[in-house]
Amino acid sequence: MVKFPEKMPDSLARLLVVFVVLTAVLAIAWVMIPTPMKSVHVQWDNAILREKAKPMRYAGAHACEECHGEIYGKKKAGYHRDLSCETCHGPAKTHTEDPDKTKPAIPATRSFCVQCHAYNPSRPRGFPQINPQGHNPLKPCAGCHNPHDPKPPTTPKECSACHGEIARTKAVSHHVQLECTTCHQAPQQHKITPRGVKPTKPQNREFCGKCHAKDTRETREKLAKSAPKIDMAEHGEKYVCWQCHYPHSPEVEN
Amino acid sequence: MNQDLMRHLAEILPQIQGFIYPNEVEIHWGMLIVVYPYITGVVAGAFILASLVKVFNVKEVQPLYRLSLLTALAYLLVAPMALVSHLGHPGRFYEILLTPQTSSAMAMFGFVYAWYLMAVLLLEIWFVHRTDMIAWAEEKTGVMRFVYRALALFSRDTSARGVEFDHKALKTITIIGIPSAFLLHGYVGFIFGSIKANPWWSSVLIPIVFLFSAIVSGIALVILFYMVITPLAGGKINMKCVDKAVDFLFYAVIVDFSLEVVEFIHRVYQSEEEIKILSEMLMSKLFMSLIVIQVMLGMILPLAIISVTKIFRHRFSLNEDLRKMLYFISVLLIQFGIFATRWNVVIGGQMFSKSFRGLTTYKMEFGGLEGLLFALALLMLPVVILAILLKVLPPWKEMLAEGKDGDGRAVGGELPAPGA
Repeated sequence: MVKFPEKMPDSLARLLVVFVVLTAVLAIAWVMIPTPMKSVHVQWDNAILREKAKPMRYAGAHACEECHGEIYGKKKAGYHRDLSCETCHGPAKTHTEDPDKTKPAIPATRSFCVQCHAYNPSRPRGFPQINPQGHNPLKPCAGCHNPHDPKPPTTPKECSACHGEIARTKAVSHHVQLECTTCHQAPQQHKITPRGVKPTKPQNREFCGKCHAKDTRETREKLAKSAPKIDMAEHGEKYVCWQCHYPHSPEVEN
Repeated sequence: MNQDLMRHLAEILPQIQGFIYPNEVEIHWGMLIVVYPYITGVVAGAFILASLVKVFNVKEVQPLYRLSLLTALAYLLVAPMALVSHLGHPGRFYEILLTPQTSSAMAMFGFVYAWYLMAVLLLEIWFVHRTDMIAWAEEKTGVMRFVYRALALFSRDTSARGVEFDHKALKTITIIGIPSAFLLHGYVGFIFGSIKANPWWSSVLIPIVFLFSAIVSGIALVILFYMVITPLAGGKINMKCVDKAVDFLFYAVIVDFSLEVVEFIHRVYQSEEEIKILSEMLMSKLFMSLIVIQVMLGMILPLAIISVTKIFRHRFSLNEDLRKMLYFISVLLIQFGIFATRWNVVIGGQMFSKSFRGLTTYKMEFGGLEGLLFALALLMLPVVILAILLKVLPPWKEMLAEGKDGDGRAVGGELPAPGA
C-alpha cells in the first residue's frame, strides 16, 4: 500500500488522489478539444470567412441610379426613400452586369404590398396600414398608388373607403338611399384615429321609430313616409330593433 | 406553412385571447422546465435540513440527517436531466462543462451544479459514511465487499484521529455547503429574475423567493419520506423529531409566504404597464394553479393545519396518530403547492404577450421528450435512486434510533400513549 505523508489524515490523502485524477482527466479532455470549439474568436473568424465565400446577389442601394436616374430620383424624394430598389425588385446583381440577360422582378400582386401595409397592431402608429379585405378588393395596388412615389395617407372621403363590406351590403338593401350619417355621427377625429374615436350608433328603439313608427305617417320626409310602419307599443316588445333586423340590410315583409 | 404545424397550432389558436405576437403562440419552456426548478429546490431544501443538525446542533432532527443528505443527492443527480433533455441532446451535456460559455447564465449553471455535487454533497456523504463503509466492507462478502471498499476509496483508517478529522471536515463542508445550497437555488431564481424583458419574472426578489420555497419543499419532502419509509423499514416514527422538523417547516413557509406577499404588493403598488394583463392572467389562466393550488391549498391550508396543532399543543400532544396524519397531509399539500409555484413562474411567464394585449395557452403533450409521461418519469427517478442509495448506504441505525441521541442516551420522556 502507498505510504502517505505521516501528518496528513488518511481520508484527506485519498480524496486528494481522486481530486488529482479528476483534474488530470479534465485537463486532458480540455487539451484534446479542437481549438475552434473552445475559442469564440476563432468561431467568429470562421463565420466571417463562411459569409465571405457566399456569392454576391445584390447590387447595392446605389447601383440602379446609373441607368434609372429618373425613377431613382423620384423614389429618393418620396416616402419610400429609405427602401432600396432591391427591397421590392429583388437581387439584381446579374442585371447590372448584363441588363438584357436578366430583368428584375416587378411585384404586381396585392399580396406583396400588404406584407408591410396590412393592419397589424404591432406596427408603429401612423404607419400607413389597410385592411386588405376591405380596401378596394381585387384592385392592384399600383393602380392607385405609385410605388416609386407613394402619397401619404389622406383622410378617407367616404365611409366606404374603410367600411367597404358594409357599404356594398347597404348598396343593395332597402336602406340604399340613406346616408351613413343618418344613423351614425362620425367625428372628424375618427378619420385620423379610427380605433381611438368611434362613430355613434343608435342606442334605442325610438331611433328606428323616427321612420318606422306607425304615427310617423304624417311626416313630410319623403323617405320616412314610404318606410314600412309598425306599432312601437306592440312590435318586438322589449327587444331593440337590431336584435332581429340587420340595419345595413333590413328585410321587409309586406 | 406545413400541415403538421397547422394542425398543431389549430388546437391552440382558438384558446388565444386578445392580440399576441406570432412567436408567442406556442410555449417553449414546458413541463420539463417546471420540473427542473422543483427538483433543484428539493436538493437545496434537503441540504438545509441536514445542516440544521451539523451546524446548528438541532439534536432532535438527527434521525433525518442521513436521509436528507441521500435525498439531496438523489434529486441532485436528476436535476440537470430535465434541462439537458429539454435542450434536445442529452448525450452532449458534458460539452456545457468542457467548452464554457461565460456570458450565458444557463451554461454557468453547469458549474454551480458541479461545484455543489462534487465539492459539497458527495464529500459530505463520503465523510459521513466513511467509517460505516469500512465496517460494512468487513461484514459483506463478494462484490458488495469490493463495492464498499471502493466507495471508501480503500481507506481502512478507523483510528480516533481519523474519525476526529471526519467530524471536522463535515462541519467545514456543511458551513461551505449552506451558501452553496443558497447559490444553487438562488441561481435557478436568478435565471428567471434576470430576464428583464419579462415583467412576470424580472424581479430581484425572485431568487430569494425561490430559495425559501426550495427550503420549504426540501424539508417537507424529507419529512414525507421519513414518515413513509420508517414504518416500511419496521421502525417507529420519532414524533419529537417530526415535531421539530415541522416547526422549521412552519417558519420557512411563513417566510416564503411573506416574501411572496411582499412581491405581490410591490407589483400591485407599482402598477406598471403590465399589471392589467398580469391580473387578467391571474384571474383566468392561472386562477386554478396560482390562487387555488399554490396559495390556498399549498400555503394557507397547511399553515392553518400546523397552526392548529401548535395552538392546541396540549390536546394534540396526546394524540400522536392524529398529529401524524395532519403533518402528513400538510407536507403533501406543500409539495403540490411548491410544484404549482414552479408551474406558475415558468408557464405563467410565457402565457402573456409582450405586447401586454393578449394571452396564449399551454397545451401539454402526453408522450415525447417534452411530455407529461417523461416529466412524471423524471419526478419518480429520484425516488428510485433514493431507494438504491438507501440500500447501499442504509441510514436505519440513525433513523430508527427513536428517542435516543447520538450516544444512545434517551432524550426526553416517552410521550403518553394515545388517548391517555
